[in-house]
Amino acid sequence: MTVFTQEWANAIAGTSYLPMTQAQLKRLLDRLGRQLAAALLAEPFDLRAGQRVGAELVAAHIASAEALGRTVEVVQLRLVRDLGLVAEDVTDRLARLLAAVTTGYARALRDRTLDEQESIRRAAMAQRTKAERALRASEARFRHQATHDSLTDLPNRNLFTERLTAALEAPQRDTDRVGLCYLDLDGFKRVNDQHGHQAGDRVLTEVANRLRQALTGHLVARLGGDAFVILIERTGGTRDVIAVAEAALAAVHEPAAVAGHEVTVRTSIGIVERQVAGASANELMRAADCTLHWAKAAGGGRWTLYDAERDRRELTSQALTAAIPAGLDRGEFYLDYQPLASLRDGRMLGVEALVRWRHPELGVLRPGQFIGLAEETGLIIPLGGWVLAEACRAAGSWSATTGTPFVSVNLAVRQVHRPGLVQEVRNILRHTGLPPERLQLEITESAMMSPAEEPVQALRRLADLGVRIAIDDFGTGYSNLAYLRDLPVTELKVAGEFVAGLRAQEPQADERIVASLVSLAHALNLTVTAEGVETAGQAERLRAIGCDAGQGWHFGRPEPADRILARLG
Amino acid sequence: MRRPDWAPDDIDIERPSVARMYDYYLGGSHNFAVDRAAAQAMVAAVPEAPLMAQANRAFLRRAVHFLVDAGVRQFLDIGSGIPTVGNVHEIVQQVAPSSRVVYVDTDPVAVAHSQEILADNNQATVVQEDLRHPDRILGHPELRRLLDLNEPTAVLIVAVLHFVSDDDRPTELLRALREALAPGSWLVLSQASDEGRRDTERNDAEAVYQRTGSPLWFRGRSELTTLFDGFELVEPGVVWVPQWRPETPESSVNAEASAFLGGVGRIGG
Repeated sequence: MTVFTQEWANAIAGTSYLPMTQAQLKRLLDRLGRQLAAALLAEPFDLRAGQRVGAELVAAHIASAEALGRTVEVVQLRLVRDLGLVAEDVTDRLARLLAAVTTGYARALRDRTLDEQESIRRAAMAQRTKAERALRASEARFRHQATHDSLTDLPNRNLFTERLTAALEAPQRDTDRVGLCYLDLDGFKRVNDQHGHQAGDRVLTEVANRLRQALTGHLVARLGGDAFVILIERTGGTRDVIAVAEAALAAVHEPAAVAGHEVTVRTSIGIVERQVAGASANELMRAADCTLHWAKAAGGGRWTLYDAERDRRELTSQALTAAIPAGLDRGEFYLDYQPLASLRDGRMLGVEALVRWRHPELGVLRPGQFIGLAEETGLIIPLGGWVLAEACRAAGSWSATTGTPFVSVNLAVRQVHRPGLVQEVRNILRHTGLPPERLQLEITESAMMSPAEEPVQALRRLADLGVRIAIDDFGTGYSNLAYLRDLPVTELKVAGEFVAGLRAQEPQADERIVASLVSLAHALNLTVTAEGVETAGQAERLRAIGCDAGQGWHFGRPEPADRILARLG
Repeated sequence: MRRPDWAPDDIDIERPSVARMYDYYLGGSHNFAVDRAAAQAMVAAVPEAPLMAQANRAFLRRAVHFLVDAGVRQFLDIGSGIPTVGNVHEIVQQVAPSSRVVYVDTDPVAVAHSQEILADNNQATVVQEDLRHPDRILGHPELRRLLDLNEPTAVLIVAVLHFVSDDDRPTELLRALREALAPGSWLVLSQASDEGRRDTERNDAEAVYQRTGSPLWFRGRSELTTLFDGFELVEPGVVWVPQWRPETPESSVNAEASAFLGGVGRIGG
C-alpha cells in the first residue's frame, strides 16, 4: 500500500493548495486506496464506493482538474500492479470504478463550486446592502446635520425657512393663517461675559430644551446666537400665537442653574400673525425681527405684537435717514430765512436760517420731518455743518452796511459737543468773510445739561470771537438759571407756546411768565426774542412787556434770502 | 466638503479584489469573473503564481502549527482575505479549541464572507480595517472582546505587506503593533520579493495588481529582516517560505520559485 500511496501523493502535489500536513495527506490517500482496492474485488461490485472516493477527494480540497487527471492515471497504472490484485474481470472492473470515481469527483466539485459561488455572491450582496444602508444612514445624517443646529439639536434656519416657505406656498386652505414668535434672550452677552462661553452654551441648550418641551407641536428653531423662532401653523388668530409666546416666556423665565450659579434668563419675543395669502417668508421674518426690537426697546422680558402702521412709519424714517448723505451730495438741501424783527421799530435785526430738503420723491420736507432722525443717527454733524457753512456764505454775501441783519443758525447737541467746533466756525467765518457779530448760534438748553466742561469752553471761545449765542426754546426745558450766570449767552428765545397765550385784554399766566422772563433777561443784560408771534395783538402785548424782538408769521414767513433782502430795500 | 469619517465606503465589485484573486490561486471558487480575469493575466505573466500562493499558504499553516505548539492561544491575522481552505481558526481550534482568532481585512466583501463563515464561532471574529491603521485595529471593540493583549498574541501579516508601500511607513506600523503586544508575543511575516526575478515578470505582475487598486511593493531579504526589529527571529530566520521549517526535505527544493520571503519572530521576556 505504501508505494501506491506515495506515488499518488507525488502525483497530486502542487495541483492545488492542500490544507494538511504530508502525514495527514498520506493517511487520507492510504485509506482511499484501500477503499478502491476493496471495491475492485467486492461482490457484488458496487460503483457507489468509487463515487464516494471521488467525493472525499474534493472534500479534502484535492479538488483541481489536474488532481483528478493524475489520480485517474495513478490508479489506472499502479493500483492493480502495486497491490497485486487478482480478479477475473479486473480490467473491466477498474474502468468502471474509475468512471465512478470521476463521476463522484466531478459531481462534488460542481456542487462545491456552486456553493462557493453562492457564498461569495451572498457576501457581496450582504456587503452591498450594508453599504447602501450606511449610505442611506449617512444621507439621513447629512440631512439632519444640514438642517439642525449642532449645539441644541433644534432645527436650524435652513429647516425653519423650508417649513415656513412650505406653509406659505402650499397652505391647506386659502384662509390659513400663520404665526411667528421671534425670541432673543435679554442680556445674553452678560451670561457669556460673566460665566464664560461654555456656561453660555449650557444656557442655550437649556432654553432650547425648555422651548422644545413647552411647545410640542410647533417647530422651534435656533437661528443662531441666542435667537430662536417658533413657527405656529394654521393659527386661529393672534390669540393663538400670543398663547404660544406666553408659554415660551414662562418656560424661559424659570431660573436655570449654570456653573453652580442660578441664572435668571429673560427673553423678548416679537410676534407676527397674519393670513398666509400674500405673505412672503422674508417679509414675515423681517416683521418678526423688527417687532422683537420693539419688545427689547420696551424693556425686554415681554412679547410685542407686530403693528403694521408703526412699522411703516419707522421704515419711512429709516429710508429718509439713509437718504440724507446722498441728498447732501446732490444738493437737495437749501435754506429759507425767517426775519427776527425789533419790537421797538419793526426793523429786521436778523434772520433765522431754516433748512429745507427738496426730496426727489417726497417733495419739500421741513426740519421736523428729518432733523430728529439726523440727530439720532449722527448725520446731524455733516448736515448741521452744511447749514452753518451755507448760512454764513449767504449772509457774508449780503452788503455789509450797518442795517444788515445777522444770521441765526441752530446748533444740535452733538455739534456743540463735538471737538473742533470752534475751529470749524472760525474757518467758515474766514472763508465767507462774515463778521462774527453777524452770526448767532442757537443752542437748546439740553446742549448745556452735560457735566462736560468742553462745550462750555467752546461756547466761551466762540463768544470771545464775537459770535452771538442764543438759548432756543427757553422756558420749555429745565430753564436752569445757573448757566445763564456762567455762560456767555447774549439772547434768550422764548418758546412760541407762551406767546400763543397772549391776548390784548386780560393778562393771563402766560403773559406774566413772559414778563418775568423779560425782566430776568434784562437784569442779566440779555435780549429776548419771542418766537411764534402770529398776530398784531401779540406783537403789541410783547412790546408793552418790553420784549426786544419777535419772530413769527406776523413778521414774515421763512422765505428765500433774496426775497427777505428785497424787503430791506 | 470633506468626507466625514462616518460616510460609507464605495463598493466596487467591478474591480478585481486581491483577496478573491488569492482564493482563485488556491483553487477556490469564491471569486468573480473580474477576479479570475486578473488572476489569469497574472498567471500568464508569472506561470508559477498559483504555486507561489500555495507555498505561502503552506508557510502560514506551518507557522501557525509551530505557534500553537509553542503555546500561543491568541491570533491576530491582518490581511486575512477570504479565509477558506486552511484558515487560521480551523487549524488552531482543532488543536486548542479555546484559541481566539481575530481576522482583519480591508476588503468589505472578504469581511462579509468571513462574517458568514464565523457566524457560529464565538471564538473568532472579523474586523474591517486596514493594516495602515494599527491604532484602529488595536482599539477595535471586537478585538478587545476576544483578545487580551496582556497575554502572548501572534500577529500574522502573511502575503499582505507587499500591498503596503514604504510611503505608508511599515516600520512604524509594525512598531505600533509590537508596542501593544505582551512579552512572549509573536510576529509572522511574509511578502512577495522580486529577488532573482526577471524585470519583465516584475513589470507584468505590477501592471496586473495596479488594476486592483492594491499595487505591489516588493521587498528583499534585508528589508524584511529589518521589519522584525524588536523581535527575535526564530530559526531559520527570513528565508524563501518553502525553506521555513519544511515538513520534508524535498518540499524546499527550488524554494526561490515561490517568490515569497517569510519569517517568524518573538518578543523576548
